[in-house]
Amino acid sequence: MGRYLLNRLWHGAIVIFGVTAIVFVVTRLVGDPVGVMLPIEATAEQRASFAHELGFDRPIIEQFGSFVADVAHLDFGDSLWQRRPAMDIVFEKLPATLELTLVGVGLAALLAVPLGIMAALRPGRLADQATVFMSLLGLSVPQFWLGLILVYIFAVRLHWLPTSGVGTPAHLVMPAITMALPALARLVMTVRSAMIEELNQQYVKVARAKGLPALRVVGAHALRNAAVPVLTMTGWEIIRALAGYSVVVETVFAWPGLGLTAVQAITRHDLFLLQAVVFTVAVMVVFTNVLLDAMYQMADPRMKMR
Amino acid sequence: MSRIARMALCALLWSGVTAAAGAQEITVGLGSEPTTLDPQAQEDGSERAVNDNIYETLMVRTADGSLAPGLAAAVPTAVDATTWLVKLRPGIKFHDGSAFNADTVAFSINRIINPKFKSAQLSFFNTIANASKVDDLTVKIITKGPDPLVPVRLYWMKMVPEAYAASDKFAAAPIGTGPYKFVAWNRGSNITIAANPDYWGAKPQIQKATYRFVPESGTLLAGLMAGELDLVPNLLPEFIGQVPKSAHIQSVLHPVLILNADGGITKDPRVRQALNYAIDKEALTKALFEGYGKIDQGQLLSSDDFGFDKTTTAYPYDPAKAKKLLAEAGAANGTLQIVGTSGRWLKDRETVEAVAAFWEQAGLHVDLKILEWNEYLKRLWDRQSRPDAIYVASKDPLLDPDRPFSTYYQAGGMGASNTDPKLAELVTKARTEINNEERAKLYRESIRIAHDQAYLAWLLTYEDLYGLSQRLTFSPRPDGKMLVSTMSVAK
Repeated sequence: MGRYLLNRLWHGAIVIFGVTAIVFVVTRLVGDPVGVMLPIEATAEQRASFAHELGFDRPIIEQFGSFVADVAHLDFGDSLWQRRPAMDIVFEKLPATLELTLVGVGLAALLAVPLGIMAALRPGRLADQATVFMSLLGLSVPQFWLGLILVYIFAVRLHWLPTSGVGTPAHLVMPAITMALPALARLVMTVRSAMIEELNQQYVKVARAKGLPALRVVGAHALRNAAVPVLTMTGWEIIRALAGYSVVVETVFAWPGLGLTAVQAITRHDLFLLQAVVFTVAVMVVFTNVLLDAMYQMADPRMKMR
Repeated sequence: MSRIARMALCALLWSGVTAAAGAQEITVGLGSEPTTLDPQAQEDGSERAVNDNIYETLMVRTADGSLAPGLAAAVPTAVDATTWLVKLRPGIKFHDGSAFNADTVAFSINRIINPKFKSAQLSFFNTIANASKVDDLTVKIITKGPDPLVPVRLYWMKMVPEAYAASDKFAAAPIGTGPYKFVAWNRGSNITIAANPDYWGAKPQIQKATYRFVPESGTLLAGLMAGELDLVPNLLPEFIGQVPKSAHIQSVLHPVLILNADGGITKDPRVRQALNYAIDKEALTKALFEGYGKIDQGQLLSSDDFGFDKTTTAYPYDPAKAKKLLAEAGAANGTLQIVGTSGRWLKDRETVEAVAAFWEQAGLHVDLKILEWNEYLKRLWDRQSRPDAIYVASKDPLLDPDRPFSTYYQAGGMGASNTDPKLAELVTKARTEINNEERAKLYRESIRIAHDQAYLAWLLTYEDLYGLSQRLTFSPRPDGKMLVSTMSVAK
């Protein structure tokens, strides 16, 4: 398995390099940071002189060369606006995004397993139909809207929770719920269909016939075999949260994480900061995937890693 | 723990947080976090919102917008065409105890104009060649050519302490001479400032201000409604009915359409005048801005600005006259292209769409192009081919015609679509005219030419809207500065 994982890591490194290179080229082709940093009333000469001081008047190949050379030393350059190392900013924001992702997706996974099993035990019955209905609802509600509705009800009307920001556990409640809901909806459906399949297998019938307690049949035998698709989907949810949902949730709740930083780096054309964020997210996505591969084998030793 | 108990715990924890914002403390909600607290590095409204209270300038704007000495003891005097002397107030100290004197002033000026410093604010100061100390309380400023705007520019430049500015802590923990001292910056979350007990001027009432960064305007509004925030700038007009209190003032932003006077359907001045007559500016202001805007009196200036010409007024809404002029020019049923952008300025897309509808009502076929920001800038700055009409919001924080007129009126300016030699000559001459009366005269003449030739389609001047908590008193200022020292809270 070790060799397999090493191989995956090596592939991951190529992916990370590819993503970083693409972001470098695309941001320089479509965006001119000088056009965003200076007031539009600045003259052409002022613009040219500013671009020269920032080094953006050099050929793009030359810029890419020095970028790659710096990255080899793990130097992602300074943020254009903040004038401090881009990686310092990323490490400052990373914990908030990890906290939100792990609590949000963790909450979703914890709730999805019992709900999914409940639905799978009696497919087509009321509990099942209700679960399916709620999942569809959870999938259709835009997170942005959901976040603002929660803010209106629990912060503006009831005064139970703060509208936004960080600081106390109370601040985490609404962002985590908003993060969890679509993930919960998808995971419930995954657990449900995986469990329905397993519960119809011969070994379950044998175990039941043998007189094993229902809890043990469902909780230990069937669930363990249903674990692989559920693990895959949970990993996916983590990746989706890191690389996508965090942007929306962090913006609505002023949660100081990487998603919000990425949005601001894009609107300000802060190229070096954006590159550092994309690189970091790519590393986390690759790492999550490799971790998943390792967990598959723990969940199901029949899987051979080559 | 039961769910109810958990909710109660959350509420309890949270109440501890809100209770902190007691008497004589306010919380301000900003749409973005300051990128830096170095007051000379970026063009960043959130940075200014905080630093306007920590740092001071040699000149200031009073509550009615007129120019007055700040850290300077008197208005700077011109010794000759390119030399200015600034006398400084004695006895002022920075928050770290270091003296404010001619050395710090010369350092501050030379720091920002050095191209190596890469200041995004340089375009406001690039007429200055250098500054030097004459004696402890006198500074000499040399300009590259005659520049009547030196006193105005000095109201936009913050004075920094020489020794500390070299420290790498400077951009994160600022030290100024202002009525408030920097306390803390929790990155991503908030910045706190507190009243400076040793301030040289009047003592402020509010003892502590906290700035929170909330990017989503709906969440900012919620913060105001929930009583967490006391002041929210840049409030959307549609939110004005929901906030506890609000305040507004004429801003420095003038959305206009630049019309191409050198080619295409807009080459005929009658067409350009017709385009102005065809727009119902009043209806536009009501429909898009809830009435929070003042009609631009056909001059790209606010009524407080230097050089404002009282005799020039906006083209009235007269669709019949517009149609008649178009017919006379042989342009009835013609096609016209408008270039605009989206998400950059307040209601930019909606404004352009409304203008397009008015022009279609006048019988024209409008080809509306809403471009992404960088594509839009390329069109705005393209000197070879000009669009028939291109939308822009001219920004004039110096409250002086030089910058907007050089950009949008003067032939060859970054956004100008005319080659009028007379207008260009007037704007160029005004730029170096030291006598203010003469200068105002030159601008009034420029305004009349631009207006009669209808080089632009003028729309309105935005109003800055502020959402306020019930307990806060704040009168917005024409320079847009949110000076906490001018605010008070009910006890």
